[in-house]
Amino acid sequence: MRRRVWLRFFLRRLVTYIITIFGSFTVAFLFFHLIPGDPIGALMASLQQQYGGHNTASAEMIAAYRVTFGLDQPLPVQYVHYITNVFFHLDLGPSLISFPTHSQDLIVRALPWTIGLLGMAVIISWTLGLLLGGLLGWRRNFPGAQFLTTAAIGLAQIPQYIVAIILVFLFAYFLGWLPSRDAYPANVAPGLTIEFFTGVIRHGILPALSIVIVAVSGWILSTRSLIVTILGEDYLLYAQAKGLPRRNIFLHYALRNALLPQLTGLAISLGFIVNGALLVETLFNYPGLGTLLVKAVGILDYNTIQGIVLISIISVLTANFLLDLALPLVDPRIRIGD
Amino acid sequence: MRSFFRNRLLAAGVILFIVICLLSIFQPVIVRALIGNINPMAQGKFPIFDPPSSQHLLGTDRFGRDVVSLLLIGLRFSLSIGIMAGVIGTLLGTVVGLIAGFYGGIVDSILRSSTDMILVIPTLPLLITLSAYIKRLDVVTMAILLSIFSWPFAARTIRAQVLSLRERAYIDLAQTSGLNKMEIVFQEIMPNLLPFLGVGLAASTVGAILAEFGLEVLGLGPGNVSTLGLMINWAISWGVLTLGKGIIVAAPAVVLVLLFLSLNFINIGLEQAFNPRLKGTTGL
Repeated sequence: MRRRVWLRFFLRRLVTYIITIFGSFTVAFLFFHLIPGDPIGALMASLQQQYGGHNTASAEMIAAYRVTFGLDQPLPVQYVHYITNVFFHLDLGPSLISFPTHSQDLIVRALPWTIGLLGMAVIISWTLGLLLGGLLGWRRNFPGAQFLTTAAIGLAQIPQYIVAIILVFLFAYFLGWLPSRDAYPANVAPGLTIEFFTGVIRHGILPALSIVIVAVSGWILSTRSLIVTILGEDYLLYAQAKGLPRRNIFLHYALRNALLPQLTGLAISLGFIVNGALLVETLFNYPGLGTLLVKAVGILDYNTIQGIVLISIISVLTANFLLDLALPLVDPRIRIGD
Repeated sequence: MRSFFRNRLLAAGVILFIVICLLSIFQPVIVRALIGNINPMAQGKFPIFDPPSSQHLLGTDRFGRDVVSLLLIGLRFSLSIGIMAGVIGTLLGTVVGLIAGFYGGIVDSILRSSTDMILVIPTLPLLITLSAYIKRLDVVTMAILLSIFSWPFAARTIRAQVLSLRERAYIDLAQTSGLNKMEIVFQEIMPNLLPFLGVGLAASTVGAILAEFGLEVLGLGPGNVSTLGLMINWAISWGVLTLGKGIIVAAPAVVLVLLFLSLNFINIGLEQAFNPRLKGTTGL
C-alpha cells in the first residue's frame, strides 16, 4: 500500500520534472532564435579578422555553413531537430568557437573545472555557515555575536566579483603569495602528478575564497534565523530540564532541526553551480563553463550558449527533483499522501 | 512612523539610500562645481593617472578624466536602471502573484508553473547574449531587459502572502457585504501587502543592479557613458593593480558596496519591522 502511494508520488514528480525541463528550455530556445542575430555572419567576420581579412567569404561558403548549422530551416523544424539531436544523440551541434569540435565536447572539457571549484566552495561555505550561524543564534547575547551578524548582513549581498578583486589585490599583487590567473601553472602538464595537483589547489584558492566569503554569510544569516525561532520551543526546555549538556542540546536538538531546511537550500545551490560564478571565472581566466560562455557570447556561438543554458536548467531541476524525492525519506514529518 | 525607525538597520539603510539618491540627483551640479564646465567624459582634459589631490579628490584615470566625476555619473546611471528595473519587475510580479493567489485553481497552476519555468532559466547568459547583440543599449531598454527575468521572485512572494490573506475572516466579511473581486483585491488585500512590496522592490532592485554590474564588468551595456561596472572593467584592463593605482578600481567598488548595503539594510530592516514572527527575536 505504502509502496503504491510512493510510486504515484514519484511518477507525478517525474512528469512535472520533465515538463518543466521542456518548458524552460523551449522559452530559452525561442529567446535565442527570436533575436535577429546572424551567427554565421558573425563567424565569417571573426574568421576574416583572424586570417588576414582579404578573402571575403563566398556566398557558397556561407550557404554551406548555414546548412551545417541547420539555419536554413524554418524555426519549428530547427526546434524539433535540435531536441532530437540533444536528447537522443546527446549532440549539441558544432560549435563556432573552435569550429569542427562539437559544443558538447567543449562543455564536457569545462565542466569538471566548474564543478570542482564551485562544488568545493558551496560545500565548504554551507558547512561553515551552518555551524557559525547556529552558534550565533544559540549564543546571541555573546558580545561579538551582534557584530558578526551585522557583518554577515553586509557581506551576504556584495558581488563576489568585488571580493575577488580585493583578494587578488591583496594576495596576488601586494603579498605575491598566490597566482591570480588560470587553473594551473602554465609550465606544468596536466596529469596525475603531485606538482599538477598542488598547482590546481594553489590556483583554486583565490577564486574559491571569493565565492566562499559571500556565500558563507548567506548561510550564517539563514541558519541563525532558523535557530532563533527554535529557541523558544518546549523540547529545548525539556532537554535542559533532563540535565543534558548544553552542547548536546545545541547539536542534537537545535541544529538538527535547522538542518533540514538548510539541506533544501544546499541542494538548490548545488543545482545552480553550473551557472554560478561566471564573473569570478572570467576574472581569474578559470577554464570553466563561465569563461566558455563569455567566449561563446563574444561571437554569438548559439550552440554552445544554448548547451550551457540547457545544462544549467537540467541541473537545477534535477537537484530539486531529487530533493523532493529524498525529503520524505529524511524527514518523517513530511507525508506524501496528498 | 516611529516604529519604522526604531529598527536601526532600516534607519541606517534609509539614510544611506537618501544620501546616495541626493548625490545622483544633483550629480550634474556637483560635477560642474568640481571640474568646471568640462565634459567629464572627454579625454585628455587633465594629466593622466594623477594621484589624489585637492583638485582631483580621487585622482584622474588613464584618459585624464576626473575619477570622482565618473563615479557620480556611474552611480546615477546604476541607480536609475536598478530602480526602474526593480519597479517594473515588482509591478509585473505583483500583478501575476495577486491574480494567481486570489483566483486559485487552474489560473494559479498555469501562472505558477510558468513562473517556475522562468525561475530556473539562468539569467546572466541570456542577458549577456542580448546585450552583446543590441550594441547601443539605453537606460530604458536595459531596465526592461533586466526586469523580464526578475519578476518571478516578486510573483512568488506576493502569491504566498495572498494565499494566507485570502483565508482571513475579514475577507469573508468583505465578500458577504457584497464587494466584488477587484474591490477586495485592491481595497482589502493590497494594503496588507505593502511591506512585502517594499521588500520585493528592494530585493529586485538589488538583483537588477547586480545583473547590470555583471554585464558592465564584462564590457557590455551602454558604451558611451561611465558606469560603475564599466569603470572596474576599464581599470582591470589597464592593469591598475600592477601600476599601483588601486584607487581607480577601489573607488567604484566601494560606491557599489555602499549602494548594496543601503538596499539590503532596507530589505532586512523592513522584514524585521513587519514580520511579527521575527519581532523581538532577532535582537538587532
